[in-house]
Amino acid sequence: MFSALDISTSALVAQRIRITAIAGNIANISTTHNERGEPHPYQPRYVTFQADPAVGAFGAKGVRVSGVRVEDRPPRYKYEPGHPDAIQQGPMRGYVAYPNINLMTEFTDALEAARAYEANLGAIEITKDMTQQTLRILA
Amino acid sequence: MDAIRGINPGSLPMGSPQQVGSTQQTDFRDFLLRSIREVNSMQQEADRAVERLMLGEEVTPAEVLTAVQKADIAFKLMMQIRNKLIQAYQEIQNIRV
Repeated sequence: MFSALDISTSALVAQRIRITAIAGNIANISTTHNERGEPHPYQPRYVTFQADPAVGAFGAKGVRVSGVRVEDRPPRYKYEPGHPDAIQQGPMRGYVAYPNINLMTEFTDALEAARAYEANLGAIEITKDMTQQTLRILA
Repeated sequence: MDAIRGINPGSLPMGSPQQVGSTQQTDFRDFLLRSIREVNSMQQEADRAVERLMLGEEVTPAEVLTAVQKADIAFKLMMQIRNKLIQAYQEIQNIRV
């Protein structure tokens, strides 16, 4: 009876996880140390989705996060000789390796996730209205 | 309530009323009690979800609100059925013998 509500909710949860990953990418746009404290630029994370394995007669019963892709991009080098993480030797001397995260694409992704969230909220609204309208048969 | 038997709620035969009461006798009282129990468990689930959200556990607000909404709709449906039953009961009461 409530399958449509559950399907839309699974999408809300999935898009929220996607937003979380994007927030992490934006937050770490100038992070030069990784999670173990080693001098390594942050690698952006991207969430991938998959259809719920339980596929009913009317299509997928929702969406799930299938995994988080850690993108191994070459760093963005910036000349900052005074930085403690600046490269000390070689031709790249004085450069600091920054994460190669593009704010533009991150924001576009975030906007897309937000719109998808809104769309699923709309679907929930319609389902809810329909159920409540149906009660009028008895009333 | 025992008199109201023969309704086959599992598979409501839309448009073919001659099937009613022919197969699979389900006690209407049992069906009603089961439904009420289900509504109750939905409300308990919603309560638990709200509690977890308030305690700051790892739950998405969307899931919690959906649980609450489901419990609300289920309760409203149950109330409508209850109203209808009471109405039918009162109409039978008003029959003159």
